[in-house]
Amino acid sequence: MDLRKTHIYAYHAEHGNIVDFGGFAMPVWFEGIIPEHHAVRNAVGIFDTSHMGRVMAEGPDTEKFLNHVVTNDVSKLEPMKGLYTVMCLPDSGIADDLIIYKMNAEKFFVVYNAGTREKDFAWLEEHSKGFNVELEDLSNKMAMIAVQGPKAEETLQKICKKSLSEVGRFNLAMATISGYKVMLARTGYTGEDGFEIFIPDCPLSNPEKALKIWNDLVDAGAVPCGLGSRDSLRLEAGLNLYGNDIDEETNPLEARLRWVVKFKKPDGFIGREALLKVREEGVKKTQVGIKMVERGIPRHGYEVLDGGQVIGVVTSGGLAPSLGYGIAIGYVSKMYSKRGTSVKIRIRKRLVEGKIVKSHPFYDDSVYGWKRGKK
Amino acid sequence: MSEEYKIPEDLYYTEEHEWARKLDDGTVIVGVTDYAQKQLHEIVYVELPDTGSETGQMEVVGAVESVKAVSDMNCPIGGTVVEANEELLDSPELINEDPYGEGWIAKIQPSDLDEDLARLMDPKAYREYVAAQAH
Repeated sequence: MDLRKTHIYAYHAEHGNIVDFGGFAMPVWFEGIIPEHHAVRNAVGIFDTSHMGRVMAEGPDTEKFLNHVVTNDVSKLEPMKGLYTVMCLPDSGIADDLIIYKMNAEKFFVVYNAGTREKDFAWLEEHSKGFNVELEDLSNKMAMIAVQGPKAEETLQKICKKSLSEVGRFNLAMATISGYKVMLARTGYTGEDGFEIFIPDCPLSNPEKALKIWNDLVDAGAVPCGLGSRDSLRLEAGLNLYGNDIDEETNPLEARLRWVVKFKKPDGFIGREALLKVREEGVKKTQVGIKMVERGIPRHGYEVLDGGQVIGVVTSGGLAPSLGYGIAIGYVSKMYSKRGTSVKIRIRKRLVEGKIVKSHPFYDDSVYGWKRGKK
Repeated sequence: MSEEYKIPEDLYYTEEHEWARKLDDGTVIVGVTDYAQKQLHEIVYVELPDTGSETGQMEVVGAVESVKAVSDMNCPIGGTVVEANEELLDSPELINEDPYGEGWIAKIQPSDLDEDLARLMDPKAYREYVAAQAH
């Protein structure tokens, strides 16, 4: 089967090392995962995220509809601001995590994962019945580029007419970049400051606008980054990867996403009753961060043990390039989730020592990440 | 495409992209090939075999890890591990920089050297094998 391509594929084919990522031909790295990782932590990098799902929802019932399908409270959103949320299945499992931006009272822009694009759109369409709302899947008509790192604003400003210092975190703005009208949000998936640029009217068959903006960003000093560093950066920041750390078998209370579940929303939401039951009975497993104390790299699927007993599993792991040791996101039985608890990870034949640590983020946020210099 | 990968003439090779070099004292040095390190790209961790441990031919004795992937290290020659390259613990990138030299993984005192070598590929066979893999 042919792999699906994004708007920026022509650049990737020439400069990147391409892999099959959920059916998309995506660059895993250009120069290398580690230099790209450091470029984002220390300066600025760009990512093609055009494979993600993007939907415009419009109509008098849009807010009501979205509040029915997601756990967070969309009615609290001010115009041109976004919020992070999950949507759940009736049994409380997480169908996906997403960001919702409010354009105006009747128009919202929704961004979700690449791997769940078709499933999510079908889910949204199905549950929009009875609401006066129109859904338009923009995923193939709109390109998306993330500009991330402490120098993101300075670099993007070189090719952007709007004053970017006025755009606050999780805010959405209209802007002109490289001469094209775009939307941009001060969001990202790296832990760093940065922007996600949405390039409308950019069909896959005519991706000129996206390629122009990408190339202008490269000329302005941004380092092209692949999915490899995107993964190592989000892991260090303690951000969930859908399909690994959260999925239909995991509920948001286990995943430490209690803060996006608003039980008091007046009209309820899909999954509320099941989540109330989970809250009442208590979670059986809970998400934790694990730092390796001994040498070794934890990976997805490795067992977490206490003594000889399996107490959990690693859902994402790797070497943290900015920290120099192995880190993991995983799930353990509630009684082992206290910070400082010593655990073992089974790495092939060895039991390697780690401990439960703060993982939102794993790094010191006065040194790395968007909060640096703000304390 | 095999011209892209260094394949020294004095070594023996496995289908899993390890190499073995006979030394004059009867021991054998083993490591992973240029093709293997290029496939893995940035190597960030090496799990070394334990010195003194016994291994059969093509038994897993360790692992070489990049940011994204883990690759088993199969020992091309059976015998006793007499030394492991501990430099790799702090500098795993030596495998990327010099896979057949500074990036060696272990030294083996072989138990059945001639039989084991007969089962490995010579440089010509390995060159063809790598060329076929690249397609």
